[in-house]
Amino acid sequence: MLFFAYAIVRTAYYSFTDFDLFKAPSFVGMSNYTALVSDELFLLALRNTIGFSLIVTTTQTVLALGLAVLVNHAVRARGLIRTVFYLPSIMSSAAMTLIFLWLFQRNGFMTAIASVVLAYRQHILLFLVGMAALQGALVLNARRSYEGISIFDPFFLLVAAVGALALAASCALAGLLSVFDNNLLISWLNTQRHFLFMPVTLWSVALMNVFTTVPTLMLLFLAGLQSIPSSLYDAAEVDGANAFQRFRHITVPALRPVTFAVVTMGVIGTLQMFDQVAILGDAAPLASRVTLAYYVYENAFPAGASSRIGLASAAALVLGILTIAAVYVQKSVGVKEKGE
Amino acid sequence: MMASMPAAEVSPSRRRLPAGALRRRQLAASAWVYLAFLAVATIMAGTFVLAFIASLKVDPLERPFRIYFDQLNPAAWVAAARLGREGAGDALWGGLAPGANVHFSVTYAAPADARIVEPRAEIPRRRPGSGIAAALMRHYAADYASIALRSSSSATKQARDKRGIRQGWQARTFVYEITYRSDRHNGPWIERTPVNLTAPTSQTLIDSPISPSRSERRGRLLSWDNITPGALGLIFNNYRRVISETADLQTGKSLIGSWLGNSLAIATGRLVLTLVVASLAGYALARLKFRGSRLLFAAALFSMTIPAQVTFASNYLIFRDLSLLNTPWSVIVVFVASANVLLMKQFFEGFPREIEEAAIVDGANRFQVFCKIVLPNAKPALLVNAILAFQGAWNDFFWPLVLITSPPEALTIQVGLLSLRRSFGGVQGDWGLVLAGAFISIVPVVILFVLFQRHIVSTEFAKGTT
Repeated sequence: MLFFAYAIVRTAYYSFTDFDLFKAPSFVGMSNYTALVSDELFLLALRNTIGFSLIVTTTQTVLALGLAVLVNHAVRARGLIRTVFYLPSIMSSAAMTLIFLWLFQRNGFMTAIASVVLAYRQHILLFLVGMAALQGALVLNARRSYEGISIFDPFFLLVAAVGALALAASCALAGLLSVFDNNLLISWLNTQRHFLFMPVTLWSVALMNVFTTVPTLMLLFLAGLQSIPSSLYDAAEVDGANAFQRFRHITVPALRPVTFAVVTMGVIGTLQMFDQVAILGDAAPLASRVTLAYYVYENAFPAGASSRIGLASAAALVLGILTIAAVYVQKSVGVKEKGE
Repeated sequence: MMASMPAAEVSPSRRRLPAGALRRRQLAASAWVYLAFLAVATIMAGTFVLAFIASLKVDPLERPFRIYFDQLNPAAWVAAARLGREGAGDALWGGLAPGANVHFSVTYAAPADARIVEPRAEIPRRRPGSGIAAALMRHYAADYASIALRSSSSATKQARDKRGIRQGWQARTFVYEITYRSDRHNGPWIERTPVNLTAPTSQTLIDSPISPSRSERRGRLLSWDNITPGALGLIFNNYRRVISETADLQTGKSLIGSWLGNSLAIATGRLVLTLVVASLAGYALARLKFRGSRLLFAAALFSMTIPAQVTFASNYLIFRDLSLLNTPWSVIVVFVASANVLLMKQFFEGFPREIEEAAIVDGANRFQVFCKIVLPNAKPALLVNAILAFQGAWNDFFWPLVLITSPPEALTIQVGLLSLRRSFGGVQGDWGLVLAGAFISIVPVVILFVLFQRHIVSTEFAKGTT
């Protein structure tokens, strides 16, 4: 523990010095911080990190909650769920990253999926439109004589899906739909392109990150869900609350402590995301993958240059403060919601 | 509170759903749940299954992606076992050894009007893989083996041509014999026997015991990397390659083996250290009242939120000054056991105080109580911590990357994977090797998971709720 406190203090000290690991550190005041603020790469890293953290934390929390609610119904297969869902999260990030790098190769599997979707876009579109139309017609027809049929009525949805599938299949057999030829080569990783506010490379990393963390978080939510007494749901149902209202007014408040834990873990994990970026290495341009954690490492051990420990320490402190601030903000918001 | 629509407002012509329809809807709802569950499970498990299948392939980036190929084809396993036995008397791992007499038959087909000529066969001086492997290669099959045509036979078969019309095609089967040259009977065992066949493009290969690894010049040149693989040698070709081709140039020792050894040593070391620190500190935090215990607890919580990147420069210097850099000790010692300490603290707090007090009345001191009474009862918690520590240390990437940089055989397996990616996953695109390395690296954790599934999952619960 002392080790740790000492390390933080030393880092803080280095952040005010010019130090390259070999000659003694010399005091330079705030110049590291001013250098940081004017370093384009640092600003990029900061933006990437915050964007990545927001996207991944939100997505994984929502997905994990959704999955937990789903799995909570399917009680019978729980042992299987554990095994299947848990595997990604025990694996090392290095092995996971390699598998995903392979998936995201220019002529790899992701490209193949994208090209199949593009080739059959008419089929898919017809299926979706057909399903929506059928569902709408069925629901409207039923609503004329019965009450309380929701737009997403599961039975009709099933019928509509089968109907739309038959429609698409028969149109395809009749030769009405064309298959588009394409020979895609998509650069998912080695690219400077941006999508919204983040480089495409980081979106790919985000997808992988969500994939690996969702199962663990889902298990946390599942434990929370099972501690909610079912009598609450029964009472609400008697009062006439629909499924969404029950979810909104019973499940979400009851899961608040778990949600806090999940979001905190997510924020901490995503802000210090390093392994994936490091393993990407020269497979992607630096600007498309740099995050704060990687920026710190890159400055401490730059390839073919002497260390800039001062700069690295300053950036590391920014990262640390950002983490604490994020957790604190999250906590204060969470507490406020509790008092509602 | 949410009942908003009294039934009276609904027009009298609309009825409630009959019971049968409600039942149908419930069934449909659970069908959707299971469908969605199945979809998610497919994506989760499918990714790994797919990657594992790809790790067996000769070229995992092949387009379009096939999931049916020699490595998954029992008929090819049998053929590979026969070829391996004929090559070196080893049906499992194959090879080419003195006394080898291998029969390799290929069948070409061509339209009835074309003539099938005998393909030109040779054993090329080909190096496997890239870089290091080529430098390590000592013996070439080309120097020790000879290939000759033994017999050929003709037949006609029915086949569809390009327009889908059935036609009689002629087919010819050539049987080659590969022998270890008798003037070299003291020669070495050779791992692989490559073969090239060159034939005009008018004739196509329709049958061979194992498929060619490559086809060049629009099918004129077919090459096999190894026609004496043995069954396991065929299936786990990439796994064998990742072991034999990642070798240290000086010593010739397999790097991946020493990486696994290093990781194992580090994980074991950290496991032991974590157990000692976590149980002592956890007990102190739970039972002993001392000044600053609250502060220490707060610091433990705090340290969980601080990224390793914040503290690494200082730690790096400490290890440099102790000249522990590039040794496993640095990676063992540098860790933050806060999560483990908190887990142990929770367990100790739940431990009945009365038992300890009784022991103290009997004249035992604090330390004796801890060793003789508390610890033996803490086995479940210790097990959980041990699993957690081992898994964490095995999967750790950052600290080994920073603290161990040379020599190549001192790395851990996770950092080793990075160098594997660099040397094979780049321009070479030799992803079979990289994926095989990744799958080898997860074996210990998967074993751990299979053995202690229940504990691992409950550990994650505990970690998340503290």
